[in-house]
Amino acid sequence: MEGNYNFYDRAIRLGVFTVTAGIIANFVPAVYLAGVVGVMPQWSDLLQILAVALSAFGASWVVQPLSFFPILGVGGSYIGWLCGNVADIRVPAATMAQKVTGSEQGTPRGDVMATIGIAGSVIVSVLIITLFTFIGSAVISVLPPLVKKALGFILPAVVGAVYAELSSKQLKIGLGTIALALVITFFAPQVGLPQWLLSICIIGCGILVARIKFSASK
Amino acid sequence: MESVMNSPGMWIASSVMVIVVVIQSILFLREGFRAAQELNIPRCDCIKGLRASMITAIGPSLAPVVILLALIAVLGAPTTWMRMNDIGAARTELAMSAMAAKVYGVEIRSAGFDLKAFSYAIWGMALNNAGWMVVALLFVSRMNTAIKKMNEKYNPQWIKLFMAGAAIGLFAYLWSGTLISGGGNLVAGIVSFISMYLISRYGGRYPRLQEPALGIAMLIGMFAAAAFF
Repeated sequence: MEGNYNFYDRAIRLGVFTVTAGIIANFVPAVYLAGVVGVMPQWSDLLQILAVALSAFGASWVVQPLSFFPILGVGGSYIGWLCGNVADIRVPAATMAQKVTGSEQGTPRGDVMATIGIAGSVIVSVLIITLFTFIGSAVISVLPPLVKKALGFILPAVVGAVYAELSSKQLKIGLGTIALALVITFFAPQVGLPQWLLSICIIGCGILVARIKFSASK
Repeated sequence: MESVMNSPGMWIASSVMVIVVVIQSILFLREGFRAAQELNIPRCDCIKGLRASMITAIGPSLAPVVILLALIAVLGAPTTWMRMNDIGAARTELAMSAMAAKVYGVEIRSAGFDLKAFSYAIWGMALNNAGWMVVALLFVSRMNTAIKKMNEKYNPQWIKLFMAGAAIGLFAYLWSGTLISGGGNLVAGIVSFISMYLISRYGGRYPRLQEPALGIAMLIGMFAAAAFF
C-alpha cells in the first residue's frame, strides 16, 4: 500500500485491543457471580474444569485459528475468533464480499473486502440472536414443520455452497481434494484418527493437489 | 437459582461481551472502508460487498434458533444471549456446561443443577472460550508475518495456490464429514453445491442474483433435503 497507511498494521493493533477486551469481557459474568452473588467453584475444581476444556477442545483452540487464517485474513481472524460461527457465517460472508466485488482471496483487496464482509455479518448475527433470545419461542411455534426440518440442514448446505465458491476458480483442485477427503474420512474411524488430526490431513491433501496442479502448469 | 440466572445483574454482566463484539465490528468496518479508499476500491463496491455479506449472514444466523431455546432453558436468557454472540458454537457451550457441571458432580438439566453448579458452567464456558481468543491474540500477527516471508522466499504464484489449496482442504474436511453421514446431510450438501456452481457459472447475466447467490443455494439445498428426508 502507498504512503504511511498500512492496513495490516492497523488491523493487528485494532485486533489485539478488541480481542484483549473480549477476553476480559468473557470472564465478567463469572467474576460477577463470585464477587457479587458470592458463588464460585473451588480453586481445585477450576483447575479440573480447565483440564477438561483443554482435553476436549484444546486442539481446536490451536488448529482452528491457524487453519482458517488463509480464508479469514488478519482482520477477519480477530473478528472471527471473538464472535464465533466462523465456518457457517464468517467464511460465507467473506467469500461473498470478495465474489461480488471481484476480489481475489489472499490479495490486499481481498483481505480488505473479507474484513468488511465479516464485520457486516457480525452486525446481522447479533441482531438476529438478540431478537431470538426474546421472541425465539414464539417464532418456533409458528414455523411450519418443513421449515423446522430444513433448519437442521443449514450447516451441510452452507458448507456445500461455500465449497462450490472456493473451488469455482480451481475446480480441479476442488474435485480432487473432496475425493481424497471422502476416502480419508471414510477410513479415519477405523484407524482411530482424532478430528483435529483428520482436519490437518485433509488440509494437507488440498495443498498437495494444489502443488500437483502448480507443477503441471509450469 | 432461576432468579440469579435471569437477574438484571446477569444481564448487565453478560452485555459487556455483546457490546465489545458490536464495537469491534464497527471499528473494523471503519478501518475496512478507510483501507478501501487507500486501495482505490470504489465506495459503491464496498457497499456492494457489505450488502452481499449481510444477506449471506441471515440464513446461517437463523440456524441455531432451536438449540438457542434449549440453552435458555438450561442456562437462562442472559448467558445464552452472550454465549451465542461470542466464540464457541451452541453445541460447544452446551457440552462445556455439562462437563463443568459434572466436575461439581451433577448433571445439567437435573434437579441437582443448583446455583453452585451454574457457576461451574459459567466458569467452564469462560475458560474454554478464552482458549480461542488467546490463540488468536498470540498467532494472528505471526501468521501474517510468516505468509509475508513465504511470499518473499517462494514464488508468490505458488503461495497463492498454496493458500487456496489450504482453504479448499479445510472445507473439504468440513464437507466430507457431513457428506459421509449420508441422508439429508448428503442431499443438502450436494444440491447446494450444484446450485451455487450453476448460479456462479450461468447467473452472470443477472447481476441481481449474485449478492444473494449463496443464500439462495443454501435454501435450495436445505429444502431439498427437508423435502426428501
